[in-house]
Amino acid sequence: MYIFPENLYTDVRLEEVSISEITYENKELRQNLKRNHKGGFIRIFDGERWYYSSTTDIDNIQEEIDNLALMAKKNEKINENPVVKKFEINTGEFLYFQDNDILNISQEEKLTLLKSYFPIISKTEEIKMCRAIYVDSKITKQFFSSKGADLIFDYQTCAIAFRYSINVDGKTLDSKYDKTTTDFDELKLLHEKLKNKIDKDIIYTKDAKPVKPGKYTVIFSPIATGVFTHESFGHKSEADFMVGDETMMREWTIGKKVGVDNLSIVDRGDILGCGFVPFDDEGTKYNETYLIKDGILSGRLHSSLTAESLKENVTGNARAMNFEFEPIVRMTTTYIEAGDKTKEELISEVEEGILVEDIRHGAGMSTFTIAPSISYMIRDGKIAEPVNIAVISGNVMETLYEIDGISNEIEIVFFPLSGCGKMEQFPLPVGMGGPYIRVKNITVQ
Amino acid sequence: MIKEKYISNFKEISINILQSNIRSVRKKDITKMGFRVYENGFIGIAGAVGKVDESELEKRAIENLRLEIPYPYEPSANLVKKVDYRKEVLSHEELVKEIEELFKLLREEFPDFIFSNNIYIQDFETKLINNKGVDLTHIDRIVAAAIIIKEKDSVNVFDAFSSYVDREYSREKILNNIRETLTAYRNKVELPIKGKQPVVFFADDMLPLKKIIEEMNGYKVGTGASLFKDFIGEKKFSDKFTLYQSAEEEELTGVEFFDAEGVVNPDYRYTLIENGKIITPYTDKKTASEFNLPLTGSASSEYDKVPSLTPRNLVVKSSDKTLKELLNGQLGIAVLIASGGDFTQEGVFGTPVQLAFLTDGEKLLGRLPELTISGELYSMFGDDFVGKSQNKGLLDNKTMVFNLEVDYI
Repeated sequence: MYIFPENLYTDVRLEEVSISEITYENKELRQNLKRNHKGGFIRIFDGERWYYSSTTDIDNIQEEIDNLALMAKKNEKINENPVVKKFEINTGEFLYFQDNDILNISQEEKLTLLKSYFPIISKTEEIKMCRAIYVDSKITKQFFSSKGADLIFDYQTCAIAFRYSINVDGKTLDSKYDKTTTDFDELKLLHEKLKNKIDKDIIYTKDAKPVKPGKYTVIFSPIATGVFTHESFGHKSEADFMVGDETMMREWTIGKKVGVDNLSIVDRGDILGCGFVPFDDEGTKYNETYLIKDGILSGRLHSSLTAESLKENVTGNARAMNFEFEPIVRMTTTYIEAGDKTKEELISEVEEGILVEDIRHGAGMSTFTIAPSISYMIRDGKIAEPVNIAVISGNVMETLYEIDGISNEIEIVFFPLSGCGKMEQFPLPVGMGGPYIRVKNITVQ
Repeated sequence: MIKEKYISNFKEISINILQSNIRSVRKKDITKMGFRVYENGFIGIAGAVGKVDESELEKRAIENLRLEIPYPYEPSANLVKKVDYRKEVLSHEELVKEIEELFKLLREEFPDFIFSNNIYIQDFETKLINNKGVDLTHIDRIVAAAIIIKEKDSVNVFDAFSSYVDREYSREKILNNIRETLTAYRNKVELPIKGKQPVVFFADDMLPLKKIIEEMNGYKVGTGASLFKDFIGEKKFSDKFTLYQSAEEEELTGVEFFDAEGVVNPDYRYTLIENGKIITPYTDKKTASEFNLPLTGSASSEYDKVPSLTPRNLVVKSSDKTLKELLNGQLGIAVLIASGGDFTQEGVFGTPVQLAFLTDGEKLLGRLPELTISGELYSMFGDDFVGKSQNKGLLDNKTMVFNLEVDYI
């Protein structure tokens, strides 16, 4: 398809993107967007440096390849370069969504779906502002490389999201309800769930009191577990932070004990949803990578560059936010595996603690933080009064040893209106989740 | 029928750094265009990236009127202005060479640190043109260095950060910022006192302003969902606190002087909070019309979307004091990295501070351990608001000072 320059490694990623976005603000239509566009990203490697070009002029990709190649130094031994050797040569057509292609759903059906939820909002006088949003995305990627990769694959998601502000006697709460899936039909029967969430939020708004700051045992819901896992440990498992850094390689030696015995964290690209990555943006096939298995550091996430540098295998985690960016090491769907207790058992064993049910956001470096939006005190083994918390935090590596209970069911969550940020690339769709986990000695502000 | 074009051209060269060396060079050239038509109180929009067939786009925009997206507001008219704020910068080839030399210096001077991330030059041009006499063009350029710094012996993913944003490249400023940061980083110090004390945020850190910005949303105020819904016209904060929306050249970074609806404020400024009194929330045409609020020109939009309400370049007014004068002989806690903090619904503020320095108001004195800081919205911007410095006293940045509770994490 393209004439790749000799004595250089070249790959080309073409993206055909179809997006729908419908937004109602207090039942008034504000957006009804249907967007289709194409873009391309070209990479050339001469064994020393990479040269990238992002363009919307996809009719002239060949010209762009030729121009970019002028910046690189010809290298007769490029195919013997250890990074180039790591690139997989996958070929074929992998179109997963032909049976339930979101492109076959009309914009009218999407509008009707969203409007079917309006009566729930209208009947709730405490809701002063509500943004009802439908979004979907279908992306078909083509990937070609000078090594012979020739791929076409697709992925899609669709979601409804409600963002609402409650005011009860001057007390306010900004809250949300989301559902992301790959199958439009799954969005049709969520009315009861939305209503329950709103009812719960209203009671919370009325009764929530400021928390008494201090150290508590905290039970994380699956969404909080997911964010904790992603922010606190997932990012540390991205191997680009370790390349050429002897201290980090020593610290992150595979086989090292890093957490409690029943803690296992996995990243895998084959779970349908926002983290579905059948092939990464270097053409590597998805993988299931245990980051921690039974408390032991077991793996990390790689691009070809980092895999070569650390003499490990590629994992299918080289991802770009879109055609404007180069792939870097990113997570796909990352979660803690299930344990052996029920949620109820976890709660019943806490004398005084906190249940974090929902969150606004989270972040993680050596210290992780989560900003809870809905939390409750736990007293004498029972869920008690709702409390307002600004942030909870803890030291990441210490916290992995402070987990003293893991529930036996997991839930994977997605964020339809945001995603993961790393350096300049935000938001990248990812999945995350896990079970309820109970963690001791968390700082609560 | 009113027809309008919203055109965005974006070009970039980005030098990506790995292990204190250039790893890659990236070029971008992205063109996006939105075509809007207004008729009978509705707006129709179509957009495209790359090569654009304008007549096709217009046809699609007209077809999209049938989607019946309400827009019963008068599009802007009779407004012609073009600004070009670009300054001369290095050519792409010169930039690559310069960055090689810059990182050679850093490797020699700071062998115990690893530098990564990127330095880039972005050129952007945004146009809004309609057949009612609007012809607005903003051409600008950003030179930015976002340098992630890691101590070689550290087990953290990164330990410090140095940023530089301007319209021209300055090796001296980039180096000076890194030198000051790392010199102080090497000197570990402890808190002079625990408890309430001056905390210094850099002016571009929006964390302390997060809650105010959320609650000053005109739609939130109008619908009664904002904490400030009953406080418009009331004095709720310190005399020293004034917040305005700025489109002034010196205060613009990557934002146009006009908003997505073609609104240009007189003197490029709209004051929202003046000397502690809440004047008005920020609004776009819809919000201003629906709730009878002043129009502040706060609409943003992607190229193919209906403009919507967004806080645009909100700036705290500087005092007439330097940071040293604001600290008034006390030492301050300068917050370089505070990730993950937030306010509760009622306005209680808390955040961990991953990297903080002690400062005398003129330089960074030493690195503090990880901290937590906390406060409360009305106090933070009331009695505990010390002010914003008139000088770029720390790391070539203006700063804001609050009296907040500080403790070790």
